[in-house]
Order: sequence, then structure tokens, then C-alpha cells
Amino acid sequence: MNYIVLSLTLLAVGLYGLVTKHNLLKTLISIEMIAAAASMNFVVFASIAGDSLGQAFLMLALSVDTAMTAIVVALVLVAYRELKVLDVWDLSKLKET
Amino acid sequence: MIMFLYEDAFAVALVVSAFLALHLENVAYAVISFGVMFTALSALYFSLGGPFAAVFQLVVAVGTIAVFFLAGEMLAPKRGTRQKSGSKILGVIIAFGLAVPSVLLDFEASTSMKTHDLSFSSALWEFRALDVIGQGVVVLALALGVVMVLKERKNQARRKEY
Repeated sequence: MNYIVLSLTLLAVGLYGLVTKHNLLKTLISIEMIAAAASMNFVVFASIAGDSLGQAFLMLALSVDTAMTAIVVALVLVAYRELKVLDVWDLSKLKET
Repeated sequence: MIMFLYEDAFAVALVVSAFLALHLENVAYAVISFGVMFTALSALYFSLGGPFAAVFQLVVAVGTIAVFFLAGEMLAPKRGTRQKSGSKILGVIIAFGLAVPSVLLDFEASTSMKTHDLSFSSALWEFRALDVIGQGVVVLALALGVVMVLKERKNQARRKEY
């Protein structure tokens, strides 16, 4: 099995979701997948190199990623309560009004 | 040999659950699938020799899934349209197709890098100590940001009441 191809597949699935899905939560899930695909490379290359620095980098990346998710979910909740909108395209149309 | 099979199974589970998390229209099922993806990813980290990464990924995933589940339940319409079974089966077939290259392609990933005997704690606290402290500041700032965003909304609701 090849972990780099696996990481690329996960990245491709995330990009597919980012491009095709309009739901804000699905968009956020796609971003999480892209982040997971990128973070996976830290562990894969750390495993190849034989040191633990990759795991330390993964922890740092995951912490920032989780904090980002928290703030985006808060923004999604606010957007829904204020505007009753869950669609990315509807949100972008609000700029015109 | 057995380890090899486990890794393949986890890789297939990772890709299939990732695809289904996006393909399934029911938010609860999508979030459950997303959780399976994180679990498979954690198992792969463990098989790669990264126990700290695996445990940390699993812990973070639990929080993320809980937040997604609550947000999904709050925001999903009460009676959404039901997804056809054919669409679900097609999604599973496409997902298995996507998982094939990562399982079958197997080229040598050798490296000329010198193997370092660096422990996890020294990697984190001696090499990345400043990053860890900076990270704490960033996470605190983001937590304050979340509080401010939600508080602002509460204040607006109060103003509307008056």
C-alpha cells in the first residue's frame, strides 16, 4: 500500500466536496478532509525518516485545525440564525443585495 | 502479512467513509461516516509507528464529531428529502473504486535520510517549544473569537427585544 497515494486520494475527495457541495457543513467537512490529508504526510514522512518530529508537527497542525473548525462552526451557526441560510451560494448572493 | 492486510482494510475504510461523508445527504449519517474516517486515519497512524499522533487524532476527532453532530442536528431540516438507495449504492461503488489505487500501487518509498533517534517529547519540547507556546496563544485567541462571535449575536438579540 502507498500512503502518499492514499493522502492524494483523500485530498482529491476533499477538493471534490469543496467544489460540488453547497451545504456549509459539507464544505467544512471537505476542508477537514483536506487538512487531514495534509497532516497525514507529516506522519508518513516521519515514519520514513524514522524520527518523531513529524508527530510533533501533526499535533501542532491538528490543534490549529480544530480551533479553526470551532470558529467556523460558530460563524455557520450565526449565519443560519441571522439569515436562515445554509447554502454557500445563497450566502455569496447576499453580497449583491 | 497480517499487518499488511490490516493497513489495506483501514485505507479502504478511510477512502470509502470520506467519500460517503460527502455523498450521503442525511447529515447524521454523513457525520457518522466522517467519524469512521477519523478512526481509520488514527489506526493508520498507529500502524505507521506514531502512537502519539494516533491518540491525539482520535481525541481531536471525538470533539470534532461531537461539534459536527450537534451543529448538523440543529441546522438540518426536520423532514429532508430521502436519498434513493441506488444513489447510495453508486456512492459506495465509486468510493471503493477510489480506494483501489492506494491499495494496489506499491512503489518503494525508500529514503537516503539518516535515521534520527529522536524521542517524541524531545521533538516537541526541545525542537518545537516556541511553536507550542505560540500555538497556545493562537488557540486561546481563537477561543476568545468564538466567545465574541456568539456573544455579539446574543447582544443583538437583546437589543431587538428592547
